[in-house]
Amino acid sequence: MSTETIDSPPPTTAGVTRRNVIKGLGATLGLAAYAKAIAPLTEWKESTTVDEFLQQHYKELSAVDLQIVLSRLEREAKKEYGVDVHITDIKAQPGVKFGYALNLSVCNGCRKCAEACHIENNHDRGSNNSYIRVFEMSRGSMDMEKGNANYEHPVKQPDKFYLPVQCQQCEHPPCVDVCPVEATWKEPDGIVVVDYNWCIGCRYCEAACPYHARRFNWEKPQIAAHEINPEQSYLSNRIRPQGVMEKCTFCLHRTRAGRLPACLEACPTGARVFGNLLDPKSEIRWVLENKRIFILKEDLGLKPQFFYFFDV
Amino acid sequence: MSDAVASNALPHTLREHVRSQRRFAWRAFVEAFDGGVAFYVWMIFLTAVALVGANAWAIQVRDGMGITNMSDHVSWGLYIANFTFLVGLAAGGVMMVIPAYLYHDEEMHDIVIVGELLAIAAIIMALFFVVADLGRPDRFWHLIPLIGKFNFPVSMLTWDVIVLNGYLLINGYICTYLLYERFLGKKPNPRWYVPFVFLSIVWAISIHTVTAFLYCGLGGRPFWNTALLAPRFLASAFVSGPAFIILAIQVIRRVYHRDYGNGPIATLTNVMRVTILINLFMVVSELFVEFYTGGSHTSAAHYLYLGLHGKHALVPWIWSAIAMNLTAAGLLLTSSITTHPWRLNVACVLAFAGIWIEKGMGLIIPGFIPSTLHEIVEYLPSVAEWKITAGIWAFGLLIYTVLLKITASVFARRRALDAVAAAATTSTPGLA
Amino acid sequence: MELRVLPARITSTTVTFPSRHLLPFAALVLVLTSVGILLAQAPGTKIPAAIEAAAVPTDLPTKYRPGPPTPRVRTNEKDVQGNGVTASCVTCHSTAKPNPQTRSAADLQQFHQGLKIQHGRLSCLSCHNDRDYNTLRLADGAPVAFPDVMTLCAQCHGQKWRDYTHGAHGGMNGFWDQTRGERLRNNCVNCHDAHVPAQPQVLPVLPPRDRISVMPKSSPEH
Repeated sequence: MSTETIDSPPPTTAGVTRRNVIKGLGATLGLAAYAKAIAPLTEWKESTTVDEFLQQHYKELSAVDLQIVLSRLEREAKKEYGVDVHITDIKAQPGVKFGYALNLSVCNGCRKCAEACHIENNHDRGSNNSYIRVFEMSRGSMDMEKGNANYEHPVKQPDKFYLPVQCQQCEHPPCVDVCPVEATWKEPDGIVVVDYNWCIGCRYCEAACPYHARRFNWEKPQIAAHEINPEQSYLSNRIRPQGVMEKCTFCLHRTRAGRLPACLEACPTGARVFGNLLDPKSEIRWVLENKRIFILKEDLGLKPQFFYFFDV
Repeated sequence: MSDAVASNALPHTLREHVRSQRRFAWRAFVEAFDGGVAFYVWMIFLTAVALVGANAWAIQVRDGMGITNMSDHVSWGLYIANFTFLVGLAAGGVMMVIPAYLYHDEEMHDIVIVGELLAIAAIIMALFFVVADLGRPDRFWHLIPLIGKFNFPVSMLTWDVIVLNGYLLINGYICTYLLYERFLGKKPNPRWYVPFVFLSIVWAISIHTVTAFLYCGLGGRPFWNTALLAPRFLASAFVSGPAFIILAIQVIRRVYHRDYGNGPIATLTNVMRVTILINLFMVVSELFVEFYTGGSHTSAAHYLYLGLHGKHALVPWIWSAIAMNLTAAGLLLTSSITTHPWRLNVACVLAFAGIWIEKGMGLIIPGFIPSTLHEIVEYLPSVAEWKITAGIWAFGLLIYTVLLKITASVFARRRALDAVAAAATTSTPGLA
Repeated sequence: MELRVLPARITSTTVTFPSRHLLPFAALVLVLTSVGILLAQAPGTKIPAAIEAAAVPTDLPTKYRPGPPTPRVRTNEKDVQGNGVTASCVTCHSTAKPNPQTRSAADLQQFHQGLKIQHGRLSCLSCHNDRDYNTLRLADGAPVAFPDVMTLCAQCHGQKWRDYTHGAHGGMNGFWDQTRGERLRNNCVNCHDAHVPAQPQVLPVLPPRDRISVMPKSSPEH
């Protein structure tokens, strides 16, 4: 610390004093140490490009710009994962509002839906990541504190029922409200989507979601080339970069083309029902009108588009 | 600098202003790198720790946030814990401004700048913690209004960006103005800083309220979803801020031989006596509501204080924090505290550490445990997180040291030259 | 608008409505309503004609997987080419006397080895047709071919059948939007063995592998 008092003269700063030489040496050493310390950043720079850095938000991209972005993403996927992918962008169709229902009397907890999601959405293999989490619950209680998602015994167990939870595509999504950069929003057909090239990774949406629906890419996803699903879409199942959020998109690359989501097709017991809520003749509408429906955490008032029902 | 003083040539034209400001900046830069052995040892130590942190952060950017111990269940950790605490420290730093300016406590006037410099350093640290917590810091520009997409006013994080940067600007302006005027030998014109001082008082309340609103507006996190969060934040800020400043004043006294008298310390001690009790009362209030009501909404509090389903990683943390706060309160309430500085220092250190735990690990982490689907996945920070945290704290202390040094130097010179001028004439002694 | 409060009697002549002062407001309301109607034509709220007019079947079909083929029994005989010889059920059952009381698989192990029956309190001839063992039978005796077995299931399991036809049971593959693609429905017997219809236990796949996941596997408490 300086021993400066009222009476000391100002330190001299002129000339090549011993003090100045030592200071210069120290400064050089310090700068060298700093450069060494942040050297990993130069390695990281390899994994991103100027075009990616400057890319605008999805909603601001013109059709031409979007095509350029899609080709760039296909090239990057080829470079990083060694596989030819086809990334599309399908817009929401008018007159469609997706809804999903799940029959809790029938679900047997096999987690084939979670596995189908894992494969369809090109999730990181090491972490068994999936948007769906299946809970083994005690009969007679909806208390999720007694639920267990880590069971590995044969299912169904006689005194249990099984509750798969995924993104509920709320009408009033708190994740959309809290995102500081509008990287996530609710599309007109009801799906809450994320622009993976706009997300800054602050994880506020993950803190806000009451359904544990959001997943963060804590690392770069690791998938073998032969396991990658090449039919991808910009807003849904393309392989996400490191450091961004992702979530269930009701397989919009399939459902906006009229097909059923992967989890529904994989379910061996037929517990899942999917369709257009605006079509009065759809299966989902029939379920909503004829079955006893309940909504998870309904008291939060977020109006999910995911409904649970029992047969009896 | 001596030439400007000796010639007493105050800048009038724009060109002269620019020249004297450049001289001020250069002088400040020189002061930042100049000192005795102890100063260099301290600064080298801080720089070394800061570089360790910078390296750990660079690795985190390259390898992903997987090197932290955060998970999809506990998605905010040590970084946001420190961020919350530091926003409080920044708000509390300005606490002294209130007695100085609202109650016309003249003794406090000189020391106000110590608090405001603390506010600057703390805000810089808080902003660094936010950047350290981002998964994609390269996309920081997405936050800039007009260039990026700024989800104002719906997202509370955007409010936080505005108020924190605004607070930094206000305090930066006030301190620069005061120091610059002193450097020139002029008495600062109240018209150019007093309104900003009052603005910074109001703004200090707002930064911590907005930060509290970040958490308490989330319906899916019942541990945070309480109206008491913002008042709790403010009360604990006004414990940690004065605690740090009391310690800083004593360091300044010893190092720079600049004695502010006993008035400021006494005032701050009195402030802490009240605010630490208010803070403890709020903790008791929270505990009653959680444990008397029961139910699954209170399982986070259960996990924090008593452990849940055999998981109890945070229990020792929170009880240490409570013990520290109670001890500090007990010490502060003794009448002999002002005559026994070591007791005061112990109380300040305990209060500071206690609030750090209570607001950080004791508030942010339990918000995520149990998860929204009632699963318990525990969290304790990884080595990389500790490194980055230490690095940012070291960098903040470095900035604070530099700012204090510049301030002390400016004030010391001013007093020296005023004394010289006073001796030369028969006018009243110079202002410090 | 003039309003005069009159004592005792109230005539309507002092109230002029609508007066010229109200006309701008009326115009504004009209404009806003039109704008509102125009805005309500935004995508996502109108049902396209294609779905509304679905009374006319323009949809692509729903295909159903067929039921099992008429079963035949494997014998140990081989024919000239070395292929296994199978026998029709009728071969034996044309001479055996049908016993409507038989309901337990234990009674059948001589010729129906390995058969398990766990289907409520049904007897074999509740479903199998004693007049023609190559078919099944409904409750009124009407024969049902084996590939059409769903008709038989639906006879008793009406609620499940109702759910099934409305897509709430039994799963499907293909398209939710049948104006764009077909749909394939499972047959009842694809998932339910007719003799032991309850779903067997299976091992779950893909356990979550969270960081520091400390929930114990199959803990008794949870």
